[in-house]
Amino acid sequence: MKHYFKSEIFLRIIFLISLFVILVVGGFTYKHISNLTNSTKLVVSTLKVNVELEHLMSFLRSAESGQRNYIVTNDTLFLKPYLNSIEKINNSFFQIKSLTKINDEQQENLVILNTLIDTLFSNFSVTNDLFEKDETDTEAFKSLIFEEKIIMDTIRQQVNEMINLANYLLSIRQKDYQSDLQFTPLFFYLVLLVMIVLIIIIYYKITIDFNNIKAKNDQLLIFNESTNQSEIIGNHANWAWDIDTNRFTFSDNHYRLLGEEPQSFEATLNNFLKFVHPEDVDKLTTDLQKMTDVEELPFIYYRIIQKNGSIKHVKAYGKAFYSKDGKKRLLGTTSDISDEIENVIALEERNLELERNNKELSAFNYAASHDLQEPLRKIQTFISRLEEKEALKFSDSGHQYLERIKSASTRMRLLIDDLLQFSRTNKPEKEFVIADLNELFENAKQDVVEIILDKKAQITCETLPKIPVIEFQMQQLFLNLLSNSLKYSKKNTAPIIKIGYSEVKAIDEPELIKATKSNYHKITFTDNGIGFKQKYAKTIFDLFNRLHNKQDYSGTGIGLSICKKIMDNHKGYIFAKGEINVGSVFTVYLPF
Amino acid sequence: MQEDYINIILADDDDDDRLFFTDAFDELKITTRVKTFEDGVYLMDYLNAENTLLPNVLFLDLNMPRKSGMECLKEIKQNSKFNDIAIAIYSTSASEEDIENTFVMGANIYIKKPSDFKILKKVLSEVVTINWQYHTNGLNKDNFLLRL
Repeated sequence: MKHYFKSEIFLRIIFLISLFVILVVGGFTYKHISNLTNSTKLVVSTLKVNVELEHLMSFLRSAESGQRNYIVTNDTLFLKPYLNSIEKINNSFFQIKSLTKINDEQQENLVILNTLIDTLFSNFSVTNDLFEKDETDTEAFKSLIFEEKIIMDTIRQQVNEMINLANYLLSIRQKDYQSDLQFTPLFFYLVLLVMIVLIIIIYYKITIDFNNIKAKNDQLLIFNESTNQSEIIGNHANWAWDIDTNRFTFSDNHYRLLGEEPQSFEATLNNFLKFVHPEDVDKLTTDLQKMTDVEELPFIYYRIIQKNGSIKHVKAYGKAFYSKDGKKRLLGTTSDISDEIENVIALEERNLELERNNKELSAFNYAASHDLQEPLRKIQTFISRLEEKEALKFSDSGHQYLERIKSASTRMRLLIDDLLQFSRTNKPEKEFVIADLNELFENAKQDVVEIILDKKAQITCETLPKIPVIEFQMQQLFLNLLSNSLKYSKKNTAPIIKIGYSEVKAIDEPELIKATKSNYHKITFTDNGIGFKQKYAKTIFDLFNRLHNKQDYSGTGIGLSICKKIMDNHKGYIFAKGEINVGSVFTVYLPF
Repeated sequence: MQEDYINIILADDDDDDRLFFTDAFDELKITTRVKTFEDGVYLMDYLNAENTLLPNVLFLDLNMPRKSGMECLKEIKQNSKFNDIAIAIYSTSASEEDIENTFVMGANIYIKKPSDFKILKKVLSEVVTINWQYHTNGLNKDNFLLRL
């Protein structure tokens, strides 16, 4: 934009300069031509003066010779040219006088000439008088003739002087004229050169601008096309509202949004409102009115009913925009959010369904915790009653059956308790508090202290950190991992369980490739137990998954699932590594 | 002579549990008089009747039809006539919620029904021989749930 603005100023300056140059050239030319005309006029008048002076001289001479001839021949016929010449001389004289009006020197000369001519003619008339009286032989006559000759000479001299003066003036004027004539083509040539340079600059500038505009135009076209495409992809549309003229412009996709062919109807507010859901029209109109007042509004929401009856939810946003010429427009974007709304509705439905499922689950939990436990407890109590009171009456096989019933019901209790534990880890009420993991570990150890003493297990634990955890769950995790190591220990070998701790970065741990955080607390449980095949490393965390039969190792297959769940709740990870008859390592990662 | 007996009442809708309960006291060498009720309504009718012999210890099951143990507990605690009765909650479940609620409402001890008759006997003998005056003075949440 700035570039074009500059260019515009530049062009304007060049234009003004050109205009100025043309005006100056015009002025100069006018002055020049009028100078030339003046010079020409002067030359012509000088020449005329000279010619007229020559005429004057010849008239004088013919007057003189006429008069002489008359005197000599006494024929009055010769007086005619003499009389004629007087009139001609007067004419010539007036002509010269008018021609040399502006020249003072010539006027003075003319005055002298006039006096001389007057003297000459008065002489002529005296001479004629004398001749007619026939006093030609008198002294006075002779001296008159002589005087005439002198006057005539003086006149000739005077006329010559005047011609010389005129020629002198002419030569000066011709010099001026010449210099003017010499300078004129050069001047015009220079002016022409300057004009050509200016025109070339303008042409160059305009070409560049034109190319730029063409390039910008291309870009605009491309941009326009990609906007059209992005509108189609993004399900949104653009509109402009010229507030002063109340005219709308809708992008192609705006029409598609309304379920119509692009530019298929006139873009006016009324035509547009026909598509708006009747319940939303009032609100939309007030919102639009507000938009024109406030000039910027938060998103407005309304619905559109297409001609085929389908309802679209849309969201619109508009902002006032002032063009350079001060025109006010509202530029806006309307976006089809039907999919979003549908997704939200679907999500809400899913949530409700999940909530229902959760309620069912907790109802099941209650059943498991209460209703299932009750009959089992009674069975066990009755078994203990039988054992106590009726044992003596049983045969050997009766005793055996009783034992079987007892162990089956014990196992059932274990299962119910573990299941309860598992479902309790499901509970969403997760209260994170900063807890000393060492303390939680000690608590867990206390829970299995009898087995530890019984199996003479050696347990070493590095100092664990204080971090925010769900306390009872972390304790459960420690307990489950400890019990696991104690349970799957090798027969006749005292279990050695080592708990290690370090702070690690996710990028340094190959197992944490998909980790979401960058830093983790790493706690490892290493034992020297019976281990397991590495191919089961993942499945051992599945619910009810057991690697050993329950005769050899009692267990429900829930303990490690609980551990997994606890780590999920903490946004952490748990991994297992095993080697048959060497031992297993359980690694726990807790995010910082 | 009446004063030498320890009067005990159990309110429990489960007849097996009532049987275990009375059997246990029969086998214990403590002089007790045990009365049982099928639900909270019968219990409260009995307790509210005039000239009723009030029990020393009342065992309350929580989950009963018509009137639950919790409702009974509330009514008993609102009536100063019953101030001297030690109340033991006697329930299958030992959920944190139930323990918390009954503790707040003023029950004296919480017993989770054991699944071994021997243990049941041990628990019951323990509870009825507690010096309630002493136990109530040191009442706190840690020893509210009876652990054996």
